[in-house]
Amino acid sequence: MSNFKTVGKSERKLDARGKVTGKTIYVDDLQMPGMLYGKVVRCYEHAHARVKKLDLSKAAAYPGVIKVLGPEDVTQKEYNNSVIPLMVPEEMQQVLGDIDDQKIFTKHVKHYGDAIAGIIATSAEIAEKAAEKVIVEYEPLPVYLTSEESRQPDAVQFVEGKPGNLAFELPEPVFPNNTMGWGDVDDAFEEADFIVEDEFYVPKQKQCQMEPNTYIAMYDEEERLHCWTSTQMPKSVQRTLSKLFEVPMHKFKLHTATIGGGFGARLGMILEPEVCAMALAVPGRHIKLQSPREEDWLTSPSRHPGRYWMKIGFKNDGTPVACDAKFVSYKGGYYLDGSGVAYTTGGWLSAMYKWGALRYKGETYFTNQPICGAFRGYGNPQTNFAMEQLVDRACNKLDIDPVEWRKRWHKDVGDDGWCAGVPLSSCALDECLDRGAEAIGWKDKRAKYAKQSGTIRRGVGVGVMTHTSGASPMLLEHTVSTVKLNEDATAVVTLACTDMGQGSHTTLRQVAAETLGFPVEDVYMNVDDMDAAGYDIGAHASRTLYVGGGSVKAACEDAKRQLFERAAGILEANPDDLVMEDKNIFVKGSPDKSVAAEEITKAGVYNFLNPETGGRDKEPGQIQGYSSYFPAHNSPPFGACFAEVEVNTETGEVKILEAVNATDIGKAINPAIAEGQLDGGAHQGFGFALTEEMYFDKDGKCLNNSFTDYKMLGASDMPKMTDILVENPDPYGPFGAKSVGEGGLVSPIGAIANAIYNAIDVQITEAPITSEKIVNALKNL
Amino acid sequence: MNTRIMPEFDLLLPETVEQAVSLLDKYQDKASIISGGTDVCVAMKSGYRTDFLISLAKISGLDYLEYDPSTGLRIGAKTTISQVLSSADVKTYYPALWQAASIFATPQLRNTATVIGNLLRASPAGDCICAVYALGGNIVLQGAEGQREVSVDEFWLAYGVTARKVDEIAIELNLPAPVKGNRSSFKRLTRTNEDLAKLNAAAHLEMDGKKCKQARLSIGCVAAIPMRLEKTEALLKGAEITDDLLEKIVTNVGNEISPIDDVRSTAEYRNQVAGVLIKRVITQACCKS
Ligand SMILES: Cc1cc2nc3c(=O)[nH]c(=O)nc-3n(C[C@H](O)[C@H](O)[C@H](O)COP(=O)(O)OP(=O)(O)OC[C@H]3O[C@@H](n4cnc5c(N)ncnc54)[C@H](O)[C@@H]3O)c2cc1C
Repeated sequence: MSNFKTVGKSERKLDARGKVTGKTIYVDDLQMPGMLYGKVVRCYEHAHARVKKLDLSKAAAYPGVIKVLGPEDVTQKEYNNSVIPLMVPEEMQQVLGDIDDQKIFTKHVKHYGDAIAGIIATSAEIAEKAAEKVIVEYEPLPVYLTSEESRQPDAVQFVEGKPGNLAFELPEPVFPNNTMGWGDVDDAFEEADFIVEDEFYVPKQKQCQMEPNTYIAMYDEEERLHCWTSTQMPKSVQRTLSKLFEVPMHKFKLHTATIGGGFGARLGMILEPEVCAMALAVPGRHIKLQSPREEDWLTSPSRHPGRYWMKIGFKNDGTPVACDAKFVSYKGGYYLDGSGVAYTTGGWLSAMYKWGALRYKGETYFTNQPICGAFRGYGNPQTNFAMEQLVDRACNKLDIDPVEWRKRWHKDVGDDGWCAGVPLSSCALDECLDRGAEAIGWKDKRAKYAKQSGTIRRGVGVGVMTHTSGASPMLLEHTVSTVKLNEDATAVVTLACTDMGQGSHTTLRQVAAETLGFPVEDVYMNVDDMDAAGYDIGAHASRTLYVGGGSVKAACEDAKRQLFERAAGILEANPDDLVMEDKNIFVKGSPDKSVAAEEITKAGVYNFLNPETGGRDKEPGQIQGYSSYFPAHNSPPFGACFAEVEVNTETGEVKILEAVNATDIGKAINPAIAEGQLDGGAHQGFGFALTEEMYFDKDGKCLNNSFTDYKMLGASDMPKMTDILVENPDPYGPFGAKSVGEGGLVSPIGAIANAIYNAIDVQITEAPITSEKIVNALKNL
Repeated sequence: MNTRIMPEFDLLLPETVEQAVSLLDKYQDKASIISGGTDVCVAMKSGYRTDFLISLAKISGLDYLEYDPSTGLRIGAKTTISQVLSSADVKTYYPALWQAASIFATPQLRNTATVIGNLLRASPAGDCICAVYALGGNIVLQGAEGQREVSVDEFWLAYGVTARKVDEIAIELNLPAPVKGNRSSFKRLTRTNEDLAKLNAAAHLEMDGKKCKQARLSIGCVAAIPMRLEKTEALLKGAEITDDLLEKIVTNVGNEISPIDDVRSTAEYRNQVAGVLIKRVITQACCKS
């Protein structure tokens, strides 16, 4: 294993230099000749209302305005910002009840900031000024911010066919009694010696990717619709938009752009439908549509907030005989990712521990909050916050070390992972727990912090997680890649996998170079030509290195096989006996008789007839490797996070002193990138646990859609971090790799919550755990 | 909703204080002064409109920070938070102000934002305001009629409103010369380190051995303007600072304020924790020298 040339090395990220020097071009930097500017007119008067009257005439008359668009001036088809429905068969979409319920411009405002009209003008300033001239009359409707309100029988219905505003529950045909799990939970609870039970609140957390939302679109002379977007999912978005605008796929050109972060916010579309609708209204002109930073909180999907009830029964020896849970989430005004999160939240619960019996219910109700959708972790953070705290509450009662309990009861190789019927392929959680505990000094600190008095208390906590590498077999998993060998024996890999900053183009390049046996500098990643690239779902479900890497590996193996076959012809040897070193191919053990790879690739292209023989001396044809790859598994990774905190009992201030994030990665293709994922994940996990939440006044107006009041942790709030990459190669992943993109966010949540519990002996059941809640809880002791 | 586009305005660039004053006199409430702009520009992107922005950028000689042991500290209208932070004199003789500067915003902001801008913004969460209020002193205003000095005790009148007249410009802050036994300190509570305060407090004590001869306590984010805690100051006056006294202060402060809920915190929390913060600034001031 150790003789890898580039796999396992922290090669420099391909995008690092450009980003650090500010040279990288984002959509916002693009200027097209004669470009026009769009503005979406939004409703900031109400969170729930009907548009009674919309008068765009004054806006249309404003000098410099080219066109105004009301709800009737654009396609009447409905859509869904998420692209997840594409990834299940149509019959399954029906069973799940997935719906398209969004319109480009609406007459039924369902959340603060919903889109009601569009303006196209010669400058962004003019478009914005004209927007102020739009006259709207609304009929206000009652505002429902929680499911407790929107599910009431007399509540206004958000869409037809979803009675009680129940957007989704686990469907009966697949989940009898609308539940997921196994065994008879009620019977199993009879065997329990004691039970822990509570209701938790999980917050509406926002991705806060650095790049605000900017798009360009244009409908050209050849009737081709172009859209420049920083979506995570170019191919899926192309398909969705071509259906929405009834443009065949070959007439829809999606231009991928640098993605300034995604974290799930760009898992699908944000303003692509609006900008394309505008472009179709002014053929031949480029339109740029930008939204202010503050609108990102209101128009791109957040994490699903809601109430999570959970009950776990234990025997005195720690056996978890039963787990009963229900997550009721507050969807925003629209359906997107309705089936996904309510399901996976339970999937993660089922995947972590060997519950004797399990019953999970997941429901999500429309509310007048801005939309929810995908966010790094996809349901896992919510489960982690509730489950990990209850486990520690039980360990406390049982007087069992939380690390030991987790080692004893986590699922292991052969047990089902998050998807029933798909057994775990590898698991190194024990090693993560052992090495993490060692690194933070678990035993000593737990003993030391057991009895504390005074106002400054310390605590150390642990949280564990399991996640996934790709969404198979629940969702489609498929990546196509090609690798072309140039005449000079360098390679170009073409594929549609996106890099949101997580480093996937760098790691995919390492996979390609390692497989081909070429130096990494000799491989170019052609990642921005969506006409040339074959299908790829897009970056979600921590799949890019696992599935995309599997595909790149297969394509490169195909190319290398062709190269070796030709070499074998020249060397008069068996291709299986050949090896390549410094791009010279020879029979293993006989390096003196070799053929240069370049000789073969050059001859394949510059191939001439021999005037004497009339035939060809060398084999003609440029070598291309190809793969249309469907992974065989989802190789769940595991991880353990340890955190140490200091809590001031008088003020409730929490300081994170230190954290260790240990992850079962299979094989780290690029350790520095993997560590970056763990640190970034921990940053968002700590934010979920401590500070991050969108909140609203009673009328549904968002009160903190800006960085002034939506608080992410800053660099100085972050503790000393130690990342541990536990390498235990997985049988399915490329070079044994499993995912590391999302999981690193999950276990830090449990770790922080449990560290606070360890410090102050009280659990805070509502996230984020603010100073206010801590002071309150201590007061009510 | 915020906009990415600045509303239209005329930028005026006077070269002397006198020119600035005459522009203010001419345009009255149609004009606003801009110094570092870290409040004004943010406000203009969220609805604040002004026809004329009178910039101090071209007026020279206002970015001084001068300390004289007999007359005290003079801070010019254009002096930035970073300048305060790099002054050893401020750190030694006016620790409350130095500490406020040290946690203030971010390095980029500190290089731009001014102390006077903070005082003139008159936000109850202002960190320099809080420190300066406890330290005491005067703000020098210059108008068409000439100069006048207003004590910080009479300067902040209502949310965002100061004693400055519409045609006046603030040109200087004076802090009194430290007397023997003078100590001060500042602290704040925030949601994350880089944040506006949800509570901030400063103490300025004149100590005679263990005894407190005189105290000025200020607290922010509990009313529309920064507040002095006069009842608590009275408890300290002439008293020895003991643990018992501090505990009494902790409860007393809660009775002296009536904060509200807002985006950064709750009334309940502020009520309960304000006393603790005051205890901390008193303790910190005492142990510092
Ligand atoms: C990201 C960020 C973080 C921040 N963090 C903090 C923080 O931690 N603590 C804190 O207290 N504040 C903070 N602020 C607020 C702001 O930076 C301060 O209030 C700053 O001191 C204002 O100074 P300025 O020179 O930028 O003022 P400006 O914006 O130029 O002016 C502020 C106000 O004072 C008036 N004014 C300025 N100079 C004069 C003068 N010479 N005469 C009369 N009127 C005048 C202006 O008309 C305006 O009303 C923050 C702001 C931002 C954007």
